[in-house]
Amino acid sequence: MAHAAGLSLLASLDFGTLPSQVVNGVLNGAIYALIALGYTMVYGVLRLINFAHGEVYMLGAYTALFVSWAYGFRPDVPPDQLPESTLLTLLVMMLASMAVCAGVGVVIERFAYRPMRNQARISSLITAIGVSLLLQYGGGLFLPQNPPPTMNERVNPYRQTLELTLVRAPQELTTAVENARQLAQRSEAAFQERLKLEKDRFNLSPEGERLRDAKFEAERQLREAESRRNTAQVTVRVGAGRLAILVASLALMFLLRQLVLFTPTGRAMRAVSQDFDSAALMGVNVDRIVTITFVIGSALAGAGAMMTATFLGTSISPYYGVLPGVKAFVAAVLGGIGNIPGAVLGGILMGVAETLVIWAGYSQFADAVAFVVLIVVLLFRPGGLLGSSAVEKV
Amino acid sequence: MLKRKPISTVLWAAALAGLVAAGCGGPKPEQTSQPSESAPPAEGGSANRPQPTAAGNKAEGDTLKIGIVVPINGDQKPWGDDALNGAQIALEDFNRQGGIAGKKIELLIGDSGSNTEQAKSAAEKLISDGVLGIIGDVTSSSTIQIAKSAFEKGVPVISIGATNDDVTKQGANIFRVCYIDTFQGQVMAEFAYKDLGLRNVALMTDRKQAYSVGLSNSFRKHFEQLGGKIVGEEFYETKQTTFTGQLTNLKAKNPDGLFLSGYFPEVGPIVKSAKAAGLNVVPLGGDGWDSKEILNSGGEAVVGGVFCNHYNNKDTRPQVQHFLKRWREKVGGIPGTTMAALGYDAMAVMLDALKRSKSFDSKSLTEAIEATENFPAVSGDITLKGTNGNPIKRALVVEVRPLPEGFVMRKAIDPKDIGK
Amino acid sequence: MHKAVPIRAASIVLGLLGCWGLDLLCRAFLRDSEQRLVVLAGLYVTLAVSLNLINGIAGQFSIGHAAFYQIGAYTAGYLAFFFYLQSPLQGVGWLLAMLALGMATAALAGLVVGLPSLRLRGDYLAIVTLGFGEIIRIVVQAIDLTTPAGEQVGGALGMSVEPRIRIVGLVWLFALAAIAVSRNLCKSSHGLALLSIREDEIASAAMGVQVAKMKVAAFMIGSAFAGGAGVLLAHSESFISPSMFPMDLSFIVLTMVVLRGSGAITGSVVAALTLFYVPEYLRGLKAADGTALTVTGATLVGWILAVIAAVVAVRWIAYQYRGPRKTRLAGYAATFFGALLVGRALGWAFSFFPALSGASYEVQKLRMVIFAASLIIIMLLRPEGVLGRHEFSWDWLARALRIRRPREAVG
Repeated sequence: MAHAAGLSLLASLDFGTLPSQVVNGVLNGAIYALIALGYTMVYGVLRLINFAHGEVYMLGAYTALFVSWAYGFRPDVPPDQLPESTLLTLLVMMLASMAVCAGVGVVIERFAYRPMRNQARISSLITAIGVSLLLQYGGGLFLPQNPPPTMNERVNPYRQTLELTLVRAPQELTTAVENARQLAQRSEAAFQERLKLEKDRFNLSPEGERLRDAKFEAERQLREAESRRNTAQVTVRVGAGRLAILVASLALMFLLRQLVLFTPTGRAMRAVSQDFDSAALMGVNVDRIVTITFVIGSALAGAGAMMTATFLGTSISPYYGVLPGVKAFVAAVLGGIGNIPGAVLGGILMGVAETLVIWAGYSQFADAVAFVVLIVVLLFRPGGLLGSSAVEKV
Repeated sequence: MLKRKPISTVLWAAALAGLVAAGCGGPKPEQTSQPSESAPPAEGGSANRPQPTAAGNKAEGDTLKIGIVVPINGDQKPWGDDALNGAQIALEDFNRQGGIAGKKIELLIGDSGSNTEQAKSAAEKLISDGVLGIIGDVTSSSTIQIAKSAFEKGVPVISIGATNDDVTKQGANIFRVCYIDTFQGQVMAEFAYKDLGLRNVALMTDRKQAYSVGLSNSFRKHFEQLGGKIVGEEFYETKQTTFTGQLTNLKAKNPDGLFLSGYFPEVGPIVKSAKAAGLNVVPLGGDGWDSKEILNSGGEAVVGGVFCNHYNNKDTRPQVQHFLKRWREKVGGIPGTTMAALGYDAMAVMLDALKRSKSFDSKSLTEAIEATENFPAVSGDITLKGTNGNPIKRALVVEVRPLPEGFVMRKAIDPKDIGK
Repeated sequence: MHKAVPIRAASIVLGLLGCWGLDLLCRAFLRDSEQRLVVLAGLYVTLAVSLNLINGIAGQFSIGHAAFYQIGAYTAGYLAFFFYLQSPLQGVGWLLAMLALGMATAALAGLVVGLPSLRLRGDYLAIVTLGFGEIIRIVVQAIDLTTPAGEQVGGALGMSVEPRIRIVGLVWLFALAAIAVSRNLCKSSHGLALLSIREDEIASAAMGVQVAKMKVAAFMIGSAFAGGAGVLLAHSESFISPSMFPMDLSFIVLTMVVLRGSGAITGSVVAALTLFYVPEYLRGLKAADGTALTVTGATLVGWILAVIAAVVAVRWIAYQYRGPRKTRLAGYAATFFGALLVGRALGWAFSFFPALSGASYEVQKLRMVIFAASLIIIMLLRPEGVLGRHEFSWDWLARALRIRRPREAVG
């Protein structure tokens, strides 16, 4: 029984799409990684799960949206009257949302987390939950959300898709597609000619219906030809914007690592993360270091929010940060919280795991996979993949 | 001391629970029969809806109280706000036309907080505050909760946007002003098969929304009955941001249509990313699409998509134009979601029934709503007489065109035309 | 020890009578909607007390308590779906059977979650419990059932649960049972072992405490009570759906636990009742003419500034001021009345700005914002919890009422 079930599962898998699914997974994971970097920074220094990180991310997305509106990309403008977008527009948007997020992060740290620093960790956690709820519901009062707005796709000047064919289809299949396409174009043209004589597009005369059905038939043949060709070849498609997210998260990971390992500020951060009091005794200005950490962590959230809002075009609402926030936190823990390359590794691993489950045909469970992977990994490596499972001192 | 095993603690807990159970079962045997007084909702049989046994509320003095339960907090807030504004406009209109002589109508607002449990709390609060009838909610899952409470108390409910089939089966005092998912799925299946000539359609379902699951099932059933083929179904959840995995799977199945039964905040990005994934399909959907925002979130990819809607703002019917004019005056712009018009309609039907009602109590109000015939509402003429609470009204098939045009009506489908 | 036996017996009898009395009172005086709120409050108390066992007493950081609640509810739901019609047990008998089964299932789930707690601690465990909650929600959401009549139920559509039974007394009796178990556990050697684990795991292991067993036991007992609460919810509402158990629910229960003092059971009960009641109270607020209460932007901004100022003042008195206790109390009182006055005055002053006086907000729309803000303010003012470590006990009551216990009189 189990054997047969395994075989039928194997038979239902489509190995032709596996390469592109893995690429999809890596690209999705890059988004988690980008947000996870901010989580990991704050946690590494403060040992605080910053539940409000997702809400800072949400504010970053709104900021980017407002800047794009200021540039004239408002939703009610017809496409041909929209301004041209350039790399500069994107940079201004990114800097604006990084600045706003950094500001919000600092305010939250100063007024909600710092007073709690000497209290039990769970009290700061509840404060963090409170801040998160306050920003969600407060955002519900003041931020535009009816209907949930989306960034105009023309803000992104790089909308093209890169296509890479790994295995080519035989020549005759490609020719068949070309022939079918010509036929489809001819019948489409014939139908359009006829349509000019018709009164109502949706109540056609018999001749119109004949031509329409012929057009449908030709289109179906084209599709079948394409289907035969596509199953014979293996192609990977990547959106340019999504590639930018991956590059950005890798670059930021590298920069952060350099910062933490090789600068005086980084050294101070590491000192604070090991022991607050000793670091203070050694002359480290703890408050300043914590503020810097929040500035960096929140600015990363801002950059991430701007990129997801622009390149993925998802709807923005006061709850925009909840799901990515939780997922990114899981990614950070998976990679070993407090560890910068770990956050990126965890994010990408999670993205790939989710996409593979979707690929296997169980998309209804995709969101649960992240957590299953997390539990399994933590059972074997309690400190996360790259985290050090430090022995607790007595 | 520490040698005692923790298992004994567990045993102790179980013993106490047993004691608790025994203590409760003993002294009050008569209370067990009490909840069964209110008959449980009938299962299955849609033809005979159970009659509420309770008398409901009576108006006291010159104030007639009507309640509305909509989400004005939480993630369904956009729909709730629109429905509430729509209902308030309908009340103003009714009062301008004279209202009910000598009576003042008071609208009590309950917040469902985008949460079924809170929806029930809000409805029960309104009922105990003495409302004659309730309007709401915008989603099916919340409305079922409201309906359960209202059925026990005999207070009529007119739902705004609950399209799930089961909602009105809760009792004979539950109504709605929207069409049901079965009808909507059938309309879209027929349009896709006959007018668009699609044969291989893929489904994308929002697993978190009862609405989306129900609509996908209905579309699948009717499309397969017509002879079409559902080549694949993939799932996502509200607020998910990336859909490339699901779309890559669907692309390998070569569909010629993609039915998206979810709400527009996700549908727009899905359509966009479907195009980027190389899927050359006609996007299809239900009334969850209705928002001007989908033109923005779907970009160029959503142009040419068709969906089923309740009304169209280019409709020349006087009700539609009047509603849009009043909306501009009071709220500004055009409504963000379809719930605005439906909220208006639900309130208008309720008030119309209240005016015709023999006396001002829940029972007469229920009878008056049941007697509604050809009421000229924004979303079409509504008849509730002998329809088991589901209005007989037309559905519009709307095509998405680039911006200056927006949504263009393609076909109005009457329930009696379907299946020909 | 044996002298405690009559007191314990009396407590049990008193508890039973109290619940029965509560039940009678509710039936006599409360409307149905209010009865439902009393039931929900009882369930929240159970949840808070059971999480307190895991979180406050054993010190295991769990933030996914809604999962066990959901497991209990869905155990009842699925079993009723498949077996209730043919079952010889009906009505309350079925409910009690479900209660036992739901507790058992949830305890089993508690075992599954408790096992990682042997290797993980602190925030790592927290994220595992959170993840477990999400896994349960997603799995439940993905399970579709078809009734014999061909209707689809389950999944996101939710499902009805037969029979519908709402007994206020039973719910509160269950809450009392949870309280009694936690309290007695605390006073027993096991409780001391748990407390020692909370304070220092390694040291208590060195002292011979069986850390692993105790931790898992705490998880199992805590989740069993949450599961039982879920069963009671399912039968009381007669309908369940995944959206009734969101992640926020876990957070709110956790907040209820933290707002009390560290490990205090009495505090958990009080906090649970308060946090449950505040949003419900705000829902009922009405203006004098019966319409929904609205505030203008001016009033709102005025109050926000006044509250911030008051928080700063109270914190200054509590942490910086070194004067006598009386002056300190006078300072708190002055801050309170001062804030009221300042809030009013600022609201009046801001009403001259048309931008602020023009905007108006319904209090109903503000209620969740007020809830979140009060959470932060409470944590800022009393991070150790509202009630600290004070516990209710008969001794305390006796002292408060100045009754001397016979034992003390004799001895």
